[in-house]
Amino acid sequence: MRNGTRARRADFHAALIAAGLAAVASPAVGQQDTTRLPPGVELEMRYSKAGRPLVAVRPFTVSITGAGPAARVTEIVSNDLTLSDRFEMLPVTESLAAPDSLRYDVWNSLNVVYLITGDVQPSGSGYQLLLTAHDVVYGREKQSGTFQLPGEASADFRLAVHAASDALVKWITGQPGMAATRIAFQRVNNNSFDIMTVDYDGENLRRLFGSPDMIYSPAWSPDGQRMAYAQKSNSQWQLVERELASGRTRVLARGDLVSGVSYAPDGSRILFDLWVPGRGVAQGLEVHAWEAASGRITKLTESTQDNMLASLSPDGRRIAFLSTRTGRQHIYVADADGSNARVLTPFGERVQYNGPEWSPNGSKIAFHGQSQGTFQIMVADATRPGGQVTQLTSRGENQDPSWAPDGRHIVYTGAGAEGEGLYVIDTTTGNIRLLTRGRRLRFPDWSMSLATPGVASQ
Amino acid sequence: MIRRAALSLVLLASVVACSRRQPPPAPQPPPTQTTTTMTPTRTAPDTAGEGMRRLEAERAATTREMRGVLEAMIFFDYDDSRIRADQEGALNAKAPILRANPSVALLVTGHADERGSGEYNLALGLRRANAVRDFLTALGVDASRITTDTMGEDRPLDTGTTEAAYARNRRAESAVSRGGDVITRPGR
Repeated sequence: MRNGTRARRADFHAALIAAGLAAVASPAVGQQDTTRLPPGVELEMRYSKAGRPLVAVRPFTVSITGAGPAARVTEIVSNDLTLSDRFEMLPVTESLAAPDSLRYDVWNSLNVVYLITGDVQPSGSGYQLLLTAHDVVYGREKQSGTFQLPGEASADFRLAVHAASDALVKWITGQPGMAATRIAFQRVNNNSFDIMTVDYDGENLRRLFGSPDMIYSPAWSPDGQRMAYAQKSNSQWQLVERELASGRTRVLARGDLVSGVSYAPDGSRILFDLWVPGRGVAQGLEVHAWEAASGRITKLTESTQDNMLASLSPDGRRIAFLSTRTGRQHIYVADADGSNARVLTPFGERVQYNGPEWSPNGSKIAFHGQSQGTFQIMVADATRPGGQVTQLTSRGENQDPSWAPDGRHIVYTGAGAEGEGLYVIDTTTGNIRLLTRGRRLRFPDWSMSLATPGVASQ
Repeated sequence: MIRRAALSLVLLASVVACSRRQPPPAPQPPPTQTTTTMTPTRTAPDTAGEGMRRLEAERAATTREMRGVLEAMIFFDYDDSRIRADQEGALNAKAPILRANPSVALLVTGHADERGSGEYNLALGLRRANAVRDFLTALGVDASRITTDTMGEDRPLDTGTTEAAYARNRRAESAVSRGGDVITRPGR
């Protein structure tokens, strides 16, 4: 998989450079999209792999010999560090794997910046993982921690290891990881509308629930305990919140159409689209907010046509949403109560923008935009409405971005190099990987960290 | 025999009259028979029973034909929910039937082709269904008799990716949801 990743990266870089020079995207590699970029949009030229430290993960040891998950834990942690796109990973040979010597000079001669070592020992019904990050250049331990893991057969085994990897990323870079997360999405299977989840690394694909009635727009609650979504019942729609552990549901709102469900980052509100009846262009979707504390529903937007698919900024003060008030689909930014709406995306011929998502650090808004043909994933600077829009993808048809909690990876529905499915792109390096394959996997929503508090102890 | 021939005529008529697959025919009530005393030396034709059967067959044929008009699909332009001029005829034909049959109710479901975001297409489908409803209510049909719904892009008629396939999917389908057993021709 790593070789395939490198090959794709090279293809993508070649495409970027060629497109930048030509100023008009032309087929540089294989089935490149041949449409012109809309005005104000450029293909990202600032992808950079510079500044990625070389990291080596020495195979984790077991303090008691015998069967144990040390090799499996090593593999999961190594893969998590690779998928973070923040490091160059050194393959560790047999000779270097010996646990008895911690020869910083040897690692230093290989240009390794950080060395990861670990030890797994039985603990209760599970294991304890002692993880250490070594600063090779300075020849000393940088940080160390102990993590409780359940038994290998536990459904949460991988999640617990992922939580350790996230701590590791934090120790080394100071930035949040994304390993202890899942992506929820909709899959239509024969006549069943299913809500699926998959771990961020593509493992553990499972069906959470489903219905022969339409279910749209699944949204994780920030604490990962609940999911809200839109469901149709007898030609009427409901905003439903479901407690994931018990399967209990409650209806929060009803109307002729509900869509665009998303939680406020602090969990205090759920934003959703609700159909407001009327004549002609007066009818349509408007963004509403359901308050968790009171159950009250407030209408936030008002205009002709539709206002929909709202996303709250992390500080809860502003919303980004789709509006067709001008007759074309554009992203707007407004105050959280809906006032002071200003258009974010540039106007141009035959361009449409849709599906905005505010990044977890508040600096960017991702969405998909169409340019005379295909939809592609784009980002705009959240602080400068009307400013430059950057296109991230160029191959196939790509829609419905959702940010990882690390603020740099985005999952989306795509038809890229490996066929139809959900893909993940790193906005810093431009690296793209297939998350899970399938036709019509839609509305992906990336959870916050699902690690149970108290797992990491330092 | 006569009933079978009449049934064949009805089936033929429904194939000719309708532009899409018919829903399964509504169960027909068994025709009532009247018994006639006959003398053993004479065989009289069962006129009254025959007449009843023919009437039933005609009523069923008319119902199917009217249903076909009510359930004719309406098509739309890309990203548009306005009723096209070339679709007005099909809509105009529905109104008098609805006015003549006050117990008939319609469920109008809007659809979109697969281009564009799924959620956007849900709204587009509903807007299309509402456009059909509003057209009919403007012609005097009571709004309470028309329910609207959307299936967005999830129930394409044609799964192809050509312009022709997309055009077939941009539609509002109507289904008789109530009172569909007997629908009479307007103006009688």
